[in-house]
This record gives sequence, C-alpha cells and structure tokens, in this order.
Amino acid sequence: MNSTGMSALGGGGGRSWSSTTSVSASGKRIQKEMTDLNMDPPSDCSAGPKGDNLYHWVATIIGPPGTPYQGGIFFLDITFPSDYPFKPPKVVFKTRIYHCNVDSTGNASLDILKDSWSPALTISKVLLAVRSIFTNPDPYNPVIPGIAHLYLADRAKHDELAAEWTLRFAS
Amino acid sequence: MVGEESKQSPPNPKNGKKNESMFSPRFKSVAEMAGWDEEALLIASLVVEDTPDRDFKQKKRSDLQFKTPPTNSRRKRRAQRKSPVSASVPVLDFDEDETSGEESGKKKIEPKTNADEKKELGKKELSGQKTGVSSSSSCLPCMDKLRDELSCAICLEICFEPSTTSCGHSFCKKCLRSAADKCGKRCPKCRQLISNGRSCTVNTVLWNTIQLLFPQEVEARKVSVTHNSRETEHPSPPRRSHYNARNWSIQALNNPEGERQSVRRESHREVRNRSVGPSGTISSSVGGDVSVRMRRRVPGQDEDAALALRLQREEFMEVFRGSDEQYRRSSLALARANLRAMATRAANTRIRGRPT
Repeated sequence: MNSTGMSALGGGGGRSWSSTTSVSASGKRIQKEMTDLNMDPPSDCSAGPKGDNLYHWVATIIGPPGTPYQGGIFFLDITFPSDYPFKPPKVVFKTRIYHCNVDSTGNASLDILKDSWSPALTISKVLLAVRSIFTNPDPYNPVIPGIAHLYLADRAKHDELAAEWTLRFAS
Repeated sequence: MVGEESKQSPPNPKNGKKNESMFSPRFKSVAEMAGWDEEALLIASLVVEDTPDRDFKQKKRSDLQFKTPPTNSRRKRRAQRKSPVSASVPVLDFDEDETSGEESGKKKIEPKTNADEKKELGKKELSGQKTGVSSSSSCLPCMDKLRDELSCAICLEICFEPSTTSCGHSFCKKCLRSAADKCGKRCPKCRQLISNGRSCTVNTVLWNTIQLLFPQEVEARKVSVTHNSRETEHPSPPRRSHYNARNWSIQALNNPEGERQSVRRESHREVRNRSVGPSGTISSSVGGDVSVRMRRRVPGQDEDAALALRLQREEFMEVFRGSDEQYRRSSLALARANLRAMATRAANTRIRGRPT
C-alpha cells in the first residue's frame, strides 16, 4: 500500500507540473525532491518551498542532542539556481549560530555546497551534511577563526558560548 | 497506477478457470520449451490461485510490465502464478516495506533479487515470455526499491536511456552528458574520472530492463521528450513554408507559361504600359523602375525571388497608404499583375542571357 501511495503521489505531482507548458528539468527535479522529502524526511530536519516559488525553500534543523546546539531550532534559506542540480543550492542560516564554520551572514562553509558539489546530491543530503557540522565542527577550515581557536583551545568555554547563543537566538 | 489496479482486479478470481483454453499457441510453445504442458499449467495456476493476497500484487505488476490488452495479460498473470519463482516470494514479505526497523535485512535481499532479476530479463529474449514473467513475480515486493535502484541520481526519475560510467554508475544519457558539461568529467556518484566516449553509449540491457519494468514511466518520458523536441523544432515550420514560397516563385520564374497567360488575361494594358515607360499610376512606376534595374544585369534565381518579394511589399505599402478604397482594390490587382510580368521578364532575360 505504501508503494501505491508513493507512486500515485509522485506521479500526480509530475503530471500536474508537466501539464503547465514545459517545466524545466530543474523544476521537475526540485518537485521530485519535495515529494521525496515529504515521504521520507531526514531526522530532525524539514524543508519545503517558502511560497509559490519552487526555487526558494526554507528549512529547519533541530539542534542535535549531545551538542551545545541541543534544543535550538535553526532556520535556513535554500535558494536553487536555475541549472540545479548541476550547480549547488545556496544555503544560508537565518538563525544566528555560534559555529566556526558559519559566518556572520549565515553562510555555511560546506565543501559540498561549493567545489565538491555533485548533481547526485539532494537537499536531504545537504541538510544531513549541515546537521553533521553541528556535531562535528571543522576548526581546521573555519570561516570564523576566533571560534575555531576557542574550540581547539578551550572546548568547554566554546560549548558554553554556543549553548548560550542557541538559547538566545534559536529557541 | 491506482486506477489500473482497480480496473484489473475484478476479472481475476472468476476468470481463472474459464479461460484456460485461451493460452495462445505462442505461449504454449514457450511453455513446452520450458517443459510445461497445458495440464501442468492448469494445475499450477489452480495451486497458486489459493494465495489471493499475493495475486493481487502480481497482477498489478504484470500489467505494468506488459502493456497488453487484458486477455493477454491474464495469460501472463497465470504464467506468473504457476511459475516456481513465486514460491520463493514469501521471503520478501510485503509488510517489510512498512516496517522501518528492518533496514539491514532488506538491504541484504535487495541486491540479490536485483541481480537475479536482471539476469533473467536478459535471458528473456532467448527463452520467450516465460522467464521474463517469472522474473517479474520475483521482484514484485521490492518494486519500490527497484524504482530507487533504477532511478537516475541526477533527475531522480527512472533512468531514460541509461548510460553507465566506467565506475559502474548509471544515469540518464542526457543527465550524464549535462553533468559532464557543467560539473566536470567526474562521476556524480563517486567522483571518479569518467571518459567521454563511455558516457554516450546506452546500457542496452539496463535500458531494456527499465522499459520492461516501468513501461508507463518510460512512455511518459518519451512523450515529454518528443514534446520538447517538437517545441525546439518549432521555428522550422515557418522557415520551411517560406522556403516553399520561394521555391514556388522560382518555379514560376522558370516556367512562366501559365503565369504569362494569366498576366495577359488580367491586365494586358498594364504590362504594355510599363514596357513603354513609367505611367501615371504608382504601381506601374515602381515596376518600371525595377525593370530598368533588372536589365542592367542578369540576376540569379534567389535574387529574383527576393526582388519579387521586396517589390510586392513595396506595392502593398504604397497601396495601403492611399486613402481611396476603390482605388486600393484596383491597384492591388495592378500590383499583382505587375509582379507577374516582372517575374516573366526576369526569367526571359535570364534565359536570353545564359547562352552568352
């Protein structure tokens, strides 16, 4: 039953899109990703179009337990380029976060969102990757060196600050 | 898919015994090749008919797989029911799909059935329907996983004309090509370098498998592809028609006999007028002007046509600039006559000019 439900939903989505003149390949793919995300959302993450624009999404990630970001809800803006999936989507934190890999404007420095992007990656995988920097910050390739220093030098202090920011901005 | 299911479900339980005589000769011969006589088929179909729950799913898949009229697929359904493979199906319990906790168990089974499935489909061409059908019954419960497995990671749809990289990953040919163009020559899945030549060949076995398993999706994709190509070709029809028009006018220039007659009939006076020299009417003055230009040199066919077109346009412009409705009408006819005469003369000039 699960199978028929999924295929009917997916097929229906495809049909409704193909009926409106010619939908670009990127639009189709984003549509498909949306249905797939609804069917099987990654843990602690959610994502969907902001409004009518299929190319502009908003996503949320819940701070993973066991990290200083625990209990926070982090909002992200996702903007798809017109030649998605051949170019990476733009992912920006809308919620302030104390993290050595997220700059003050919210840009997450993830290699898969830049040079290591692959068209086989999906938003679901991107969200998982973003979530993974919560649990495993990369202080050796920081965008905010101060936080990276503190992370390496005084982990407890870093975590305390991060938790404070989470409490202040993300809950 | 849902509609299909409901459409196909009613006839099955009742028709099971009634239609045994409907085995086609071809099916029988195939069955014989596989060592099944008709009696065995009957018995097998009766035996497997006892498991209605599985039947339900098999039916749907077989319909998906072979886009054939209902009677035909009923035959095939029976073939599935009697096929020995269906006995092994319970291993892959359908309920598994709904329980999320058995990931590891599922994954172990998946590749095996997948491989079996493909092997059997590959054999299908040799041994006829039977193997193909039985393989479909073996993959029934994992259709979703098959769908995932046979989907292109780039467009996320069922691979259309799959192309396999040297590292063993398959994508739609088109998707792989655009990925190579826009993202560099690396496999989108494993980032290994991929060679150009490989990326253009379709993995035939895989493509055939996909066509057998997902005929509806493939058909939909084909339709959209042809639709798109038609859209991109759209600018050509007007071009072609223009070309035809040009051909036509050239033809008229080459064979002016008929045209000349009609010209004489329509406005004998105008032709004479213009050949004498520019008269008071606008149209003939334009015609005279051009005719002078034409005598200067022998124009090529294309130039003739272009000239005629330009002339026509000029005439119309001039005609519509005038305010008098009646005059407009008559001068339109004049313009046309002028044009024809022009064409005739251009042709004549060229014919005369050629021997020199």
